[in-house]
Amino acid sequence: MIRVIVLAAVFVSGAALMSLEMAGFRLVQPEFGSDIIVWGSLISVFLGGLAAGAYLGGRIADLGPSLWGLALILALAGGVALLIPAYADAVLEWTFPGQGAPLPQEWESAGAAGHLQVYLPPDLRWPTLEAGLLLFLMPSLLLGMTSPYAARLLIRAIGRVGAGVGTISGISTVGAIAGTLGTTFYLITWMGTRWLMAANGLVLLGLGAVLGLAHLASRPQPT
Amino acid sequence: MVAIGVLAATWGMAQDGQGKTTVLYDRESRYYRILVVEYETEKRLCLHFSKTRGIQSSMLIGDPVALDLRYCRTMVAGLALVPEAKDVLLVGLGGASLPKFIQKNFPDIRLDIVEIDPDVVKVCQKFFHFEGTPNTRVFVMDGRMYMKRAEKKYDVILLDAYAADHIPFHLTTAEFIRMVRDHLKPGGAVVSNLWEHGLNRFYFAELKTFQETFPQSYILPAGSSGNIIVFGSLDEPKVAADEWVRRAKAASADKDLGFDLPALVGQEYRYLKDQAIREKALTDDAAPVDTLRRENPKYFEEEAAKQP
Repeated sequence: MIRVIVLAAVFVSGAALMSLEMAGFRLVQPEFGSDIIVWGSLISVFLGGLAAGAYLGGRIADLGPSLWGLALILALAGGVALLIPAYADAVLEWTFPGQGAPLPQEWESAGAAGHLQVYLPPDLRWPTLEAGLLLFLMPSLLLGMTSPYAARLLIRAIGRVGAGVGTISGISTVGAIAGTLGTTFYLITWMGTRWLMAANGLVLLGLGAVLGLAHLASRPQPT
Repeated sequence: MVAIGVLAATWGMAQDGQGKTTVLYDRESRYYRILVVEYETEKRLCLHFSKTRGIQSSMLIGDPVALDLRYCRTMVAGLALVPEAKDVLLVGLGGASLPKFIQKNFPDIRLDIVEIDPDVVKVCQKFFHFEGTPNTRVFVMDGRMYMKRAEKKYDVILLDAYAADHIPFHLTTAEFIRMVRDHLKPGGAVVSNLWEHGLNRFYFAELKTFQETFPQSYILPAGSSGNIIVFGSLDEPKVAADEWVRRAKAASADKDLGFDLPALVGQEYRYLKDQAIREKALTDDAAPVDTLRRENPKYFEEEAAKQP
């Protein structure tokens, strides 16, 4: 039973991560434009969060894994996701690229006569990374902790590490596919970007509560 | 700029051996695949952002300044709707058809152009005879980012920013159209190129956005080209067809535009503001213009209801 709940948590955190990432593009694009740099920056932030989360999550799990700890991680991730819509506009405003009037730049006239006045765009790289870090580093870091923590919870014997890690990694990725397709095919249309982020937050908070209850239920009864 | 219709089939026809084509330029840019194709039989040079989707722009090789595509001619009606327009903004350069036309026929207009892709600007200079004038400025950036940064106000804003086959979602929403409206001078107008609703299931939602955002709104369907041009105006009193025709006559009085602008306005004029549209406007939070979903049957009902 515990095993099923923990694997469900792995699935849902994979799904929520990708759902937040897909919705994140829709959140950022109106301010930063439809530029491949926006995609690159956000994907890098999510991968960075996952990497840091995996590193930290594994170490925290080794301190003494418990369902309670996993519940706390997911609930924190849910709380952060729930708050993103509330502070997203302020973050986007603050990191908006190239404040102020654009300046004319030298422009090679490509052989045509007549000098064309061309104004080049602001550099998007740092502003998009900055906005991405402020909005999505925390949730992706927390969700990245789930897999190593779950592995520590579920894998009892060193001889079962390969199968255990494989199962967890596979389930997490299938969850990520579900989150990606669900979000892009249906959920953004149905709920809109901001409600979808909040809904991810609520689901993660609910999951945290379920794990917390499972922790209480599975505690050895005092005799 | 994307037009479909007669010329859209040209590429396919040409590949079927009905005309000779030469690809002059075929390169990936940061945003698109840019193709410049010469159609020798038709004596046209066209810009494509995809081998299989419609054309972005078309130029008569013998007359590079003429407006070859029907929808571009219809967009010029916007310059007539606002008498004495001096400051004009174009979002989406395409093959620079409208800029060249404005530079030649309305040289006093101060024209600003926003185009996201620097390679499109270079291709226009190299292949489409686009040249600078003291009254022309090009801003290489996302249209919405320009709206957020720019402080300048315009008499007419022309919206024609298309990727290969759709308008990027953040340039379709009510929030964006309001930003555009707020860059108009009193009495100014926004002119937007839309695909008709058989091709674009968000057509009515986009019309609704214009209805809701502007005191007055009008439609001129660009013939049977598949493009519909929608006009949103800050000018409170309704401009009737004959008044717009009169303004078109005044605007084109001493000019050879290459087509009959007053007649075009007279034939195509439709009043939009009082039309009942059930669709909701698109918003930043929910503008699923690029999601892959089946057609909603309601859209076909709407179309059926419109038929006489």
